Amino acid sequence: MTPILSVRDLSIDYRTRRGPVHAVRDVSFDIEKGETVAIIGESGSGKTTLAVSFIRLSPRSARITKGQILYTNDRETVDIQTLPDDELRQYRWSECAMVFQAALNSFNPVINIWEQFADTARAHGMKDSAKIHARAQELLDLVHLDPDRILKAYPHELSGGMKQRVLIALSLLLEPQLIILDEPTTALDILTQRSIIDLLGQLRKKLGFSLIFISHDLSIAAELADRMITMYAGTIVERASVTDLFYRPRHPYSVGLLRAVPRVSGAMGSVASIPGSPPDLIRLPSGCTYVPRCPLAIAACAEREPDLVPVDTPNHEARCIRWKTVAEQVGTAEVAVAEKIATA
Amino acid sequence: MVAQQLPATPRASRARHILGYWRHPVAQAVLKAFLTVFVTTTITFFLIRLMPGNPIDIKIDELTKDGLMTYQEARAQAASLFSIDLDKPVLEQYVSFIGNLAHGNLGYSFVSQGTPVTAIVLAVLPWTLFSVGTGLLLSFSVGVFLGLFAAYNRNTRADHILSLGGSIISAVPNYFIALLIVIVLGVELRWVPITQMRGATSSGIQPGFTFSFIGDVLFHAILPVSVYFLASVGHWILGMKSATINALEEDYVSAARARGLSDGRIMTAYVGRNAVLPLVTQLAITAGLAIGGSIIIESYFVYQGVGLRLQAAVTQRDYPVMQGILLMVTLSVVILNLAADLLYSRLDPRIGRAGGATGT
Repeated sequence: MTPILSVRDLSIDYRTRRGPVHAVRDVSFDIEKGETVAIIGESGSGKTTLAVSFIRLSPRSARITKGQILYTNDRETVDIQTLPDDELRQYRWSECAMVFQAALNSFNPVINIWEQFADTARAHGMKDSAKIHARAQELLDLVHLDPDRILKAYPHELSGGMKQRVLIALSLLLEPQLIILDEPTTALDILTQRSIIDLLGQLRKKLGFSLIFISHDLSIAAELADRMITMYAGTIVERASVTDLFYRPRHPYSVGLLRAVPRVSGAMGSVASIPGSPPDLIRLPSGCTYVPRCPLAIAACAEREPDLVPVDTPNHEARCIRWKTVAEQVGTAEVAVAEKIATA
Repeated sequence: MVAQQLPATPRASRARHILGYWRHPVAQAVLKAFLTVFVTTTITFFLIRLMPGNPIDIKIDELTKDGLMTYQEARAQAASLFSIDLDKPVLEQYVSFIGNLAHGNLGYSFVSQGTPVTAIVLAVLPWTLFSVGTGLLLSFSVGVFLGLFAAYNRNTRADHILSLGGSIISAVPNYFIALLIVIVLGVELRWVPITQMRGATSSGIQPGFTFSFIGDVLFHAILPVSVYFLASVGHWILGMKSATINALEEDYVSAARARGLSDGRIMTAYVGRNAVLPLVTQLAITAGLAIGGSIIIESYFVYQGVGLRLQAAVTQRDYPVMQGILLMVTLSVVILNLAADLLYSRLDPRIGRAGGATGT
C-alpha cells in the first residue's frame, strides 16, 4: 500500500543576509494510512519548517532546494510543490489539516466561531449553511464542548483549552486523511494538556486519520505516536518505533533528550540537560553535527556526516557511526529511565 | 459591598437595575459626550467675553461718531437694541444663557437684528458637514483601499509611488493645498472657474431633489471637498499600509490560508477588517480637526459654511452667533466621536460587549 505522505530527500533553505540557512537537510520518511508519527527535537531543529512545507505555506524567504513531497489519496498521487494554486487550496484542510503552534491565535478575533467554521466549509464548496451547522455541532460535541454556546462565541471569550479543542474540531471538518499538529499542547497547563492528548487518542481511534505530531515533549509524543523521528540540526538523526526509541535508543542525541525529561519520581539531580547549543545552520561543520555536544565523539565522527544506517533492531535507523557503543551504554541505565517515562 | 450581600428587597433590586443601565457602555459614552459639550460651551462662553471690544462698544462708537448723540444716549440706545444686557455680571449672563439653552433658545444675532441664531447656524452647518463629510469619507475609502493595495504589493513600484506620494501629501497643511488650488489652478492656469464656484449654491437655483440642484451643490463643493480629501488621503494610505502589513503577519492569517480560504476572503474578512480597526478611531479625530480647519478653507473658496460665517461673527463680535456656531461645531464633533466609538464596538467584538459566551 502506498503511504499517504512520502517525503523524499527534502532540503529547505532560508535566505538571509549572512547566506542560506540550511533549516531542513535530506529528510525522507513515509506516513501510512492511520499511522501517527511524532517528530521530536529541540527548538530550531527544523520541525516546523518541515511541517509547513507539507501544505506549502512556508515563509517567502524559504526555498525548497531539493526533494519531493508526494501526497496520495484514493484517486491519485500529487507532488505538493507543483500543485496548481486552486488545487492546492482544495488540498489544504480537506486532505491535510494543520493545527499551528500558535493555536491560541489561530482564530480571527473579529468574527465568531460559527463564521470561521462556515468560511472553511464554503471555501471547499459546501454551500448549505444548515448542513455546515449540523456538522460543526457534531464535531464540537465530539470534542466535548457545548456547540450552541461555542458557535456564537468570539475567540476572546474562550479559554486556551477550549480554543485548542475548537481547533481540533475545525481540523476534522472536511474529514482530512492527514492532520499535522505542531506543538498542540505547549501553551496549555498540564491538566488541559492531559485532556487534549486523551481526546486526540480517542478521535484517532474513532476516525482513523493519520497524524503528524510535532513536539519537544517526549512523554506526550510517546503516548500518541506509533513511530518517532528525532531531528537535530535540520536532519533526521534517528527513526524508530516508540518502544525502540525509548528502550533502545541508538543515537546519543535521542539519549540526551530522554535524559532531559523530568520525572515525577526522580530526584532533582536525575534530569540532565544536553550541554552546548545546536550548530550554526549557515556554516555547518563538515562531520557529524552533534560532535561538539556528544559525550561519545571520536576523531572519525568529525570527518564526514554519517548516513542514516539500520541498527540492531528492525525498522530502526540512526545517523551515528558509534551506535553500538550507544547500545552498550544504554543497555544499563537508559532502560530504567525509559520505563519511568513510559509509566509516568 | 455589604448591601449587595444582603437579600435584595424588590425595590433595592429595581434601583440596582436602573443603575445598571448607567453602567452600560453606550450610556456611559452618551453621558461623557454630554459633559464634553457642557464644559466646552462654558469655556467658550467666557473666552468669547474675554475678547477685547464688545458689540455695544462698537455700536456706541458708530452712534457717537457724528456727534449727534451724547455718550449716555448712545449707550442706552445700543443697549436697547440687544437682548442681552452686557452690564450684568458675566456670571448672571452665563446663568441666563444656560437657562435659554436648556429651552433650546440660542438667542438673536446682534448684527442681523431679529434673526434667531438657530436659523443662522442651521443655514450654514449642513454645508460644512456635507463638504467635510464627503471629503473625509472619500479620502478614508480611497486611502484604505490604496493602503491595502500597497501592503499586498509591498516593495513594488506601485507601493513605492503610493508610499512616497502619501508621505509628501500628508506633510502639506490643508490651507496650503487650498492656496495652491486658488493661485495655480484658479488664477495662473485658469483651469478652475473659482469665481463661479463661490458660495454653496449658485444664486437663483431652486432647492429640490433635481439633477440641476444636486449638480450645482456638487459643483460648488468640489474645491473644499478636494482639499479635505487631499489633506487626509496620505494619512490613510500610510496608516492602512502599516496596519495591513502587521495584520498579514498574524497567526490567524496563516491559519486561514492553511484552511484553504480564498485570497479574496482572507483579504477582506481577515486582513482588511482587522487592519482597519485602529483607523476607525482616527476617523473621528480627523473629522474634528477638519471641521475646525474649515474656517480657513471656506474663506479661501468663499464657501458658505460654518467657518465663513464664524469668521464674520468674530469680526463683528456677534456673541450669540459665535456661541451658537461653536456649540453646534462641538456638538457635531462629539456626535461624530460617539458614532465612531459605537461603530468601533460593532466592528471589534472585544470592545464594549457586555456578557457573551463566558457569561460574566
